[in-house]
Amino acid sequence: MKKQWQILLNGIFRENPVLILLLGCCSTLAISVTVLGSLGMGAALTFVLVCSNIVISALRKVIPDKIRIPCYIIVVATFVTLVEMVVKAYMQTLYDALGIFLPLIVVNCIVLGRAEMFANKNNMIDSLFDGLGMGIGYTMVLTAMALVRELIGAGSLLGKQIIPEEYTIRILAQTPGGFFMFGCMMALLVWGLDRHGKKFKPEMGCDENGCSNCAMAGSCTSKEKEAAN
Amino acid sequence: MNGVMIAVSVLCAIGAVCALILVVASKYMSVPENERFPAIRACLPGANCGACGYAGCDGYANALAEGTETRTNLCVPGASGAAKAVAEVMGVAAEEVVRQVAFVKCNGDCEKAGHKYEYEGIQTCSAANILFSGEWACPNSCMGYGDCERACPSDAIHVVNGVAVVNPAVCTGCGICTRTCPKHIISLRRFAEDRVQVRCSNTQTGGVARKACSTACIACKKCEKTCTHDAIHVVDNLARIDYDKCVGCGECVEQCPNGVLVKL
Amino acid sequence: MLMKALSIMFVMIFTQNYVLVQFLGICPFLGVSKKFDSAIGMSGAVVFVMTLASAATWTIYTYVMVPNNLEYLTTIIFILVIAALVQFVEIFLKRYMPPLYQALGVYLPLITTNCIVLAATILNVDNSYTFLESCVNGFSAGVGFALALVIFCGVRKAVENARPPKCFEGLPITLVAAALTSLTFMSFTGMAEKLFGG
Repeated sequence: MKKQWQILLNGIFRENPVLILLLGCCSTLAISVTVLGSLGMGAALTFVLVCSNIVISALRKVIPDKIRIPCYIIVVATFVTLVEMVVKAYMQTLYDALGIFLPLIVVNCIVLGRAEMFANKNNMIDSLFDGLGMGIGYTMVLTAMALVRELIGAGSLLGKQIIPEEYTIRILAQTPGGFFMFGCMMALLVWGLDRHGKKFKPEMGCDENGCSNCAMAGSCTSKEKEAAN
Repeated sequence: MNGVMIAVSVLCAIGAVCALILVVASKYMSVPENERFPAIRACLPGANCGACGYAGCDGYANALAEGTETRTNLCVPGASGAAKAVAEVMGVAAEEVVRQVAFVKCNGDCEKAGHKYEYEGIQTCSAANILFSGEWACPNSCMGYGDCERACPSDAIHVVNGVAVVNPAVCTGCGICTRTCPKHIISLRRFAEDRVQVRCSNTQTGGVARKACSTACIACKKCEKTCTHDAIHVVDNLARIDYDKCVGCGECVEQCPNGVLVKL
Repeated sequence: MLMKALSIMFVMIFTQNYVLVQFLGICPFLGVSKKFDSAIGMSGAVVFVMTLASAATWTIYTYVMVPNNLEYLTTIIFILVIAALVQFVEIFLKRYMPPLYQALGVYLPLITTNCIVLAATILNVDNSYTFLESCVNGFSAGVGFALALVIFCGVRKAVENARPPKCFEGLPITLVAAALTSLTFMSFTGMAEKLFGG
């Protein structure tokens, strides 16, 4: 049980998917406008992550290596369609808030990344807890961003107006605000980790140092990575 | 039940068609890949520095795999480790790598070089270079804000008294500083062979150069006249050494009136 | 007809730019915009794939899925088709157009699992576009991505010259720069209606 607990905490803190692994940026920036949307998206993603992790882990010895990515995509897509249908039927406001990002959970880097990096190498129980941890970590970051963005950007919280609209910084609730908040959150994290003596430099993409600097290395299917291996 | 059957069969049909197209395509449109390329490429560090003369590690590995290149010791950052590994993969004897280190072609520190204006902008070389080629009187001088120092992964280059200096003992010859310097006055030299160096990059005429910096090359041609090996020539108001002919005797170094030349 | 197509193009490239307004395709946007050459390569690949994917998915949606009431399978079928299409394009390019493969090939697998392509294809069917409108939509979304990428490449070059506070070095200051870039695109709000009559 201790190992599973460690895996869970790992997903929330040490390897937080959004801030440390830098996966799932698109949905983070877009959904963190409202707290309700964040919680809903977090829940949906956690559900898909847990279920797909379990299934992929169960099938890891069966799926041939060459076609594993399409197979993972099919499994994930199934669960996403399920979630889509449930949300559309029972939570119309959430469905409108999430918009196109609900079906886009299929190609969310977190889901495929964890499938590739964790689920296809570990057993079902561990994968379950990994999925849970990653999902909770994701929800936490999203909610934290949304708290600031909704409160200061729109003056409301969970739909109820708290600060009158004249005193809100409207830009925070829009696109530039998303980028800015994310940048500030990351800078805060770097500063906080630095204070505790842990050096962390967030970078993205293929550069001269190969895959060591790339946060997407886990879910990257590019030829450069194959050549480097 | 009918709806479920249709859904399942349509999905299976689409999947099967896609799979069929891909299988056929990969069979009939495959490109034969050189088998040795991945193995050779794995031996190289992946820095893509260009010191080998090819466009990145992929280029060098490709040339080796195709057979157009037979020298296994061209990788400078990889040094003898990479050379040995590559030679092993290719099944030839390993050769030693010619060690290269960086050298800053400027000696104009705060005492010797003058300023055109006082600069109070962003404290980086690349930013300072944008404004009239920097604050120093010489347009080809080291600006001393340390872009190279920050870029160096081996901590081998430091700005001392306003000019960058390389520590050859630590330098691995990766070439990152040569690309970082906005004035392109850092270059790689062979550590053991290229001992005599010109510590200046100024191409202005003698009088103008002397006014800008007390240790600038004034194109007096004393070094050219002294050299018995026809290795050093003044081209474009700057002394340049041909390392194919230079033997490293150091005669020109003693003759230079401004201390521009140095024997390392 | 032409006006509708032009209106779609304008909206997708500027007002509703996929990267800077709709938050799609952020990963390659931040990852590939460091060097200009990779930016161009990625942009080319994205435009290419999006146009083809729009055409392919629209066809399958209209002629296979709608007659059989299978709209609920949109996500699964679309992503399958996109993945297969990209793989096929890669094999095809490698064999018949090696120079193009050298330029674009590395980025093609990166696009498969990318939000942009799936988003564009789903929006096509959500907005009930015709075949031509879908292709224009896909193409314009790709061009919008390319525009954002190239612009941001230049912005990043300028940011490189600066010395931000230590904790902002690297990705955080890049994100702030992206915030400012997307701010400029907000100026296009409302233009489409005035120019093309809605």
